[in-house]
Amino acid sequence: MQFLRFLLVGALLLAPLPALAYDILVLQSLRERGYDEAVKGLKHECSASMRTVVLSDYVEADITRIMREEHPRLVIAVGDRALEIANRLRNATVLYMMALHAKPRPRGSMTGVGMRFDPARYLAVFESIGSKRVGVIGDPSKSGAYLKRAQAVARRSGIDLVVREVHSPKETPAMLDSLRGRVDALWMLPDVTAVSPATTEAYFLFSQGEMVPLVAFAEVYLSMGGAVTLGIDRFDMGKQVGEMARSVLNGTPVDDISTQPPRRVLMKTNDGVLRRLKITFGGGGA
Amino acid sequence: MSWNFRVSRLVTSFRFRLYLIFTGTIALLTAAFALFYIITEINGFRSTLEREGKLLATVLAQNARLPLFAENREALSLLAAGTARYPSVLFVSINNADGLPLAEVKNPRGNGDGAIDMRVAVTSPGPVFSPEALLLGHAPVDKKREVGQVRLRLDTSAAHERLKKLVAASLAIGTLFWILVSLLSYQILKRVTASFNLLMGGIEEVGSGNLSARVNLHGDDELGRGANAINAMAASLELRELENLALQKELINAMKLEVQEEKKRVMARLIHTNKMTSLGLLLSSMAHEINNPNASIRFSGHMISKIWGDAVPLLNRVWREEGEFYLGGIPFLKAREALGDNALKIVENSDRIDRVVRGLRDYGVGDGALLRPNMELNGAVTAALSVLACQMKLDVRLRTDLGAEIPAITGSQHQIEQVLINLILNAMQAFPDGCGEVVLTTRLDRVASEVIVEVEDDGVGISAETMERLFEPFFSTKLDRGGSGLGLYISQYIVAEHGGRLQLSSKPGRGTRARVTLPVGGGPV
Repeated sequence: MQFLRFLLVGALLLAPLPALAYDILVLQSLRERGYDEAVKGLKHECSASMRTVVLSDYVEADITRIMREEHPRLVIAVGDRALEIANRLRNATVLYMMALHAKPRPRGSMTGVGMRFDPARYLAVFESIGSKRVGVIGDPSKSGAYLKRAQAVARRSGIDLVVREVHSPKETPAMLDSLRGRVDALWMLPDVTAVSPATTEAYFLFSQGEMVPLVAFAEVYLSMGGAVTLGIDRFDMGKQVGEMARSVLNGTPVDDISTQPPRRVLMKTNDGVLRRLKITFGGGGA
Repeated sequence: MSWNFRVSRLVTSFRFRLYLIFTGTIALLTAAFALFYIITEINGFRSTLEREGKLLATVLAQNARLPLFAENREALSLLAAGTARYPSVLFVSINNADGLPLAEVKNPRGNGDGAIDMRVAVTSPGPVFSPEALLLGHAPVDKKREVGQVRLRLDTSAAHERLKKLVAASLAIGTLFWILVSLLSYQILKRVTASFNLLMGGIEEVGSGNLSARVNLHGDDELGRGANAINAMAASLELRELENLALQKELINAMKLEVQEEKKRVMARLIHTNKMTSLGLLLSSMAHEINNPNASIRFSGHMISKIWGDAVPLLNRVWREEGEFYLGGIPFLKAREALGDNALKIVENSDRIDRVVRGLRDYGVGDGALLRPNMELNGAVTAALSVLACQMKLDVRLRTDLGAEIPAITGSQHQIEQVLINLILNAMQAFPDGCGEVVLTTRLDRVASEVIVEVEDDGVGISAETMERLFEPFFSTKLDRGGSGLGLYISQYIVAEHGGRLQLSSKPGRGTRARVTLPVGGGPV
């Protein structure tokens, strides 16, 4: 009996030891459904040992100490705050996902999956609904590069991308008014200056008034009058990062892995809007 | 019937009170309903106005959301002007989040008295997410952000006009309704209370004493049943009244007859009493008139006896010497015996006459209620019997059994004699055929220290009804035979005065016993 007691206590004391040795430290900004889905996809794809730290659970998490004591081989940042903290870690290999403001680190050793689809995905949709003149509003400081890439792709596709630049959300209604009669489709970018809660309605009023389809980036806009939305599959995004992590753990230098856009598109349509706008849509491919 | 009486009767009538209650209640209800209607209508109108204003302000706020966010004053002015075209809107103002008016329209009509101010916040759409939140899949935050404010002032003058019209219409309709319902209720009450008035009329008629009156109300309802019951009661009372009248009449007649009979009896008793008084006086007078010659006769008897006593020796010598001779045609020897006897008889009978006359005188005049301490009871019995000697009938046997050791008592011999005479006379008259036996007994009850005189007959006896009334004054079963009805009454009084008791016991058909008990040695009560 005495022997069994010692055995049990010993087992309990030794149990945490395997947990301290892991390959991946997952830094998650918040406990939100979107982040959880992405982390779930990550764990589904990558079977390496992981420890997940949700930053919102701590007043100030000492990630540097964790890195020093636990020596994870890879850090995966989920969300902008997690990416910001991961950026401070020297000599750490960082992968990121679900970060809107991700920027390449000067010294490298960081890559990940961005939040914006390839513009070609959107332009394929416009092409499939037969739009030739597509209006789009964006803040140059946030979406300037993306819009340039989009304009390049549009030119190749024979689509006239009518771009309006805004620097404040208050300018959006006026910019929308300037597009009246000049476009036959409207593209809503995930740009916080161009699309604010106060101006979101203006996009749909424009779409309704001008009888042009609105293509947006989230499924929720379908219920407000959007015609087509291209949404992100966060689970697949997690899997996409998981593949990167597995590759890194297998020895591939992180510098050799370029930043990628989301791989899988969840395209949804509002058939009622399409029917009223008399648009036949066969799908732009996922 | 005076006017005031009519008004008073009308005011206190059941119909009028019911009518007052009906009309009062209807007036109150009508006023309450009219008031309720007016209040409801006014509140409804005001509520409608407020809803309309709220709706206008909400629509304006909705429409002004984007121009207000973009601070597009031209668009806001157009929106405000469009809203101000509504007739109930006096003033429209669209302010930004800092309260600064970006567009204002003032309507010249209306003075603004009692106007309703309406404020609606212009908010950004709550459920719209930021692009970041949508991309990252964050949970929605239903947070509305106020970007400005819409103010409306609504004209309520129409409500005042409407209130005036409503009050006038309600008053008119209410008054008309009240008049109509009052008239209708009067007719209904008149019909309903007609039977009631008929019933009340009948009841009052019966109550006033006219028992032959009837309630002429037919029906199976409560009033009809009540009328039937009252009619039956009146008929029953009428029958009782007739019976009472007949009984009263019979009673009066009977009383008249009884009074006449009583009068006759009283008169007879008075006459008899008067006769007895006169007889007493006559007896006294007769005693006086008889005593004088009787005294002369007794003296003569004594003288004859004394003379004869002296003459007899002489005549005896003559007889011896000369032989037989006659006196008054009777031989001397027979005449000698007869004369002596006759002389003694003259004296004896004269004494007897004297005793009888004295007894009659004492009975008629008496010696009052003088009580003597040495009254001999047997003496009183003897004296009573001597008074009644002439009344004795041949067919009535009188047997006396006088006690030997009867002590003297204190009392009036004359009064005791009177008691005994009454009792003996009653006993002698108790025989329907005049044939019977009267037993007179005196004895001493040593234990009770009382002397007792009993007069017992074997006559017809006394019935129980008569026994109860025997000692009543002027009650007699022999009024037709000269009875006064005072004998036993006076006898009982005398015995009671002597401290004794007079008791009568009788068995109908077997006889009666009268017992007088007097105390020995004790004085009268």
